[in-house]
Amino acid sequence: MNNQRTGWILLFPALLLLFLIFLYPITRAFGLSLFTENLGTQLQPVFSGLANYQRMLGDGRFWQSMSNTAIFTIVSVALELVLGLSIALVLNQSFFGRGIVRTIAIIPWALPTSIMGLAWAWIFNDRFGVANDILQRLGLIETGINWLGEPGLAMVAIIIADVWKTTPFISIILLAGLQSISRDLYEAHKIDGAKPWQSFSQITLPLLMPQIMISLLFRFAQAFGIFDLVQVMTGGGPAGSTETVSIYIYSTVMRYLDFGYGAALVVATFMILITTVALVAWLFNRTKWA
Amino acid sequence: MILEQTPDKSRKISWSYILLGISIVTIILFTLAPILWQVLTSVKTNEDISAIPNVYLPHKITLQHYLELFERRPFWLYIFNSALVSIVSTILCLLLGSPAAYALARMKLRGETIILVLIAVVTLFPYALLFLGVLEIIKNLGLGNNYLALIIPYTAINMPLTILVMRSFFRQLPQDLEDAAKIDGYKTISMLTAIILPMTLPALVTTGILTFIFAWNEYIFALTFITEETMKTVPVATAQLGGASLFDIPYGAIAAATILGTIPLVILVLIFQRRIVQGLTAGAVKG
Amino acid sequence: MLFFGSSKKLKKTLQGIHAIFFWFILGFCLALLTLFLHLPGFSQQSVTISILMRGGEAQQWQPLVQEFEQEHPEINLQVIEAPNDTNQVEDLYTASFLLGNSPYDLVFMDIIWTPKFAAAGWLKDLSGYLSPAELDQFLPGDVQGGMYQGKLYRIPFRSDAGMLYYRHDLLAQAGYEPPETFAELITISQDLQQQGLAEWGYVWQGKQYEGLSAMFVEILQGSGAFWVDPQTLEVGLDRPEAIAAVKFLQNTLTTKISPSGVTTYAEEETRRLFQNGKTVFLRNWPYVYSLALDSPIAGKYSIKPMVHGENQSSGACQGGWGIGISASSKHPEAAWKVIQFFIKEESQKKYALANGYVPSLKSLFNDSEIVAKYNHYPELLKVLENAALRPPIPQYAQASDILQRYLSAAVTNTMSPEKAMEKAAAETRRLLSVSDK
Repeated sequence: MNNQRTGWILLFPALLLLFLIFLYPITRAFGLSLFTENLGTQLQPVFSGLANYQRMLGDGRFWQSMSNTAIFTIVSVALELVLGLSIALVLNQSFFGRGIVRTIAIIPWALPTSIMGLAWAWIFNDRFGVANDILQRLGLIETGINWLGEPGLAMVAIIIADVWKTTPFISIILLAGLQSISRDLYEAHKIDGAKPWQSFSQITLPLLMPQIMISLLFRFAQAFGIFDLVQVMTGGGPAGSTETVSIYIYSTVMRYLDFGYGAALVVATFMILITTVALVAWLFNRTKWA
Repeated sequence: MILEQTPDKSRKISWSYILLGISIVTIILFTLAPILWQVLTSVKTNEDISAIPNVYLPHKITLQHYLELFERRPFWLYIFNSALVSIVSTILCLLLGSPAAYALARMKLRGETIILVLIAVVTLFPYALLFLGVLEIIKNLGLGNNYLALIIPYTAINMPLTILVMRSFFRQLPQDLEDAAKIDGYKTISMLTAIILPMTLPALVTTGILTFIFAWNEYIFALTFITEETMKTVPVATAQLGGASLFDIPYGAIAAATILGTIPLVILVLIFQRRIVQGLTAGAVKG
Repeated sequence: MLFFGSSKKLKKTLQGIHAIFFWFILGFCLALLTLFLHLPGFSQQSVTISILMRGGEAQQWQPLVQEFEQEHPEINLQVIEAPNDTNQVEDLYTASFLLGNSPYDLVFMDIIWTPKFAAAGWLKDLSGYLSPAELDQFLPGDVQGGMYQGKLYRIPFRSDAGMLYYRHDLLAQAGYEPPETFAELITISQDLQQQGLAEWGYVWQGKQYEGLSAMFVEILQGSGAFWVDPQTLEVGLDRPEAIAAVKFLQNTLTTKISPSGVTTYAEEETRRLFQNGKTVFLRNWPYVYSLALDSPIAGKYSIKPMVHGENQSSGACQGGWGIGISASSKHPEAAWKVIQFFIKEESQKKYALANGYVPSLKSLFNDSEIVAKYNHYPELLKVLENAALRPPIPQYAQASDILQRYLSAAVTNTMSPEKAMEKAAAETRRLLSVSDK
């Protein structure tokens, strides 16, 4: 009994903080989303039932930001997974200077996203950017491309920056997984006459599945909530083509002071995120048992 | 082994060596090129920066952009702010997180799985979903433009990782040690501070590096909860650098700020690469 | 199993580690101490008044700031530089007010922020500070733009309004008078383009951003339509007149008097086209006038109020910046002294002469020194006197973003004008009615 009490005392401060910063805001958003609290009500909460959700259904901008977020998340996470796995496979080979290369490969992950977003915005600058310069020197384009000023291209630029920034995270996790796979397995497989590709798909991939799933889950949640990169590179523009849900929520609260509607947006995003995560986790568990 | 192979096979191997070499070079280039470009931009003169076609190697190296950061802006203050907030929140996180992690690793609490699942789930919450509620808390506590407005959230957002990593380290400790200590008459808490905690110092360092990095890099809270110029952190201050005229973006100064803001982290990675990897995998996989 | 030595060594290590911990905790306490020392506890003889503005303009303020501080040694005026993007400045002010305890005593406000900041209760009511006679010396639109629900919150410092620039040399060559109506603008443009006098007829700001809304306000007014009635909160975007206004913009594209790129142009892109002599007409703000004096078309262009529909009158979108006092300022008297200094004739004149900004006092438009430098000012006054506000509602930013989305969709042909305006009107209504409950 005493032990139990000490345990809870040890846990208490940490749980309190987690409650304050994670659970309270989400619960609060659920409550606030039933109220109208904005400049029209002098920033006072007025109960309005599901009005905020009704408004959301007809809000073209919300749906656009949702689809932007989905596109960004799917494309960037898919690219990061493929690249991350390839990098992990390379770094798992033994070669001279492997330690240094592994260290270098982590660097992007450790740097501030917002600051490196500025660096990428400079690379993609329409007039002085080095991306245009290289493409021009290679003869691929004649005049500079306005990367961050054209709807489709701005998304491409942001995805490239995000892939650069977060691929290392996936490589780190997958590399650790690769290292835990015993070499004997491959040897035995080879003796059975398997080709490298076969051992990759029959040993590496299945044994790496837990790491792949976990990094996917993490990356999915992070990409879905992407804020800083977009904020510093395009601010959601041009013409809202890179506006993600997080950016829209931020504007709704901090620019429009529309707290009730902002809370409704938080709730909707939260529900979509949690449902997807739960679904993925459930599917994963089922396949594991099967 | 190699000697025994047929010429055909050795050629295959050399091909795969070339492929490996190419991929290693590509990885290094892909990783370092954007950073290098910032370094180059930061020491170029304004003429070189806005030259078309681009000037790759600067004709003249200048530290003007760095000086500008300290002359026109209190940049050393930004660095101080970032350091203070990151260090204090890291220490707090370790102080509060390690006991919690110990309790979850050893004490067989009722409802421990629920708490663990909860902790794992909250790591998935995007900060943009939290800032509205946190803003309210900060406002009600009157903490706007106070370092605590960042320290408290940073401690909290790093708490799940701290607990998960520390827990996985605690679980590696041999149980006999604690049993022996208990026989010697140690109470749980004094045993923790006197024996267990010191032994997990390496684990604390690992976790501390990760939390420091996350705190240093955080943007959305720093952007929202600090508006006083002298209290801003490096990422926010860098993103808000204004030019000397309305139509000019100070690319050189931004590049210089990028370098200054990332150097501490690059150094951390260079020194603690192994620990970072260890911590991340422990936090993500074992947790 | 990573961290163990033998248990003999344990005790020794522990002592060492205890020492480390001691220093750790000490450092931590010191850090906490600095935290709390930072709280502003000291009081000084001189009062510090702070104001935030775009970095570029902060530089331009410096001479006046020095002059002010000489005149008022007891007040230290601190101008804090923000990024040059107007939206970011607005966000910085908003965040600081939302947190309470704003670090800024004065607010340098774009005209469209006033209703929002006032409705949120962040601004001090300045109604009694200037007499009606004093207020009368300012341009009416600037004063109107500083009002919210009958109270004054912002004193105008510099004015701005949209207008039509035209190449009088080209018009004279082809024997045309400057156009009055939308139709004339199109006909003249087409004719001059056919004669090969200019590549394009008319350029305007069609990018999806605030400038699009500002430009559209002029077309709406010139078509006899309206956006939002600030009194009744009625939305007029889906009325036939408003749809006709959108169709005019569409026509400039279908008749090829405007390049298809205008739908991505902001002020600067259009200014460059005009300055390079590529177009006959341009819709823009006053700043273009002085910049174009250093270009191949110097002396070949004039300004006039915007074109309009048959039997309608010209619209000009009111812009401009003014100064308000933050409700939480601890030194409102000192802050008011700053405002008084900056809005007086002498300061405005110096500022206009040095930086080419348009003053907000009517008298300065006929001032001999100013007219000597900018001889178009008497003409400019005519434009400014009839300038109209963008809807002065607190939710303006939101309403404008809705309009920009759908207007942009219409001019880029991804939606028909009717459909686009219908949607824009519906979303605006929902925004205003939900807010109004």
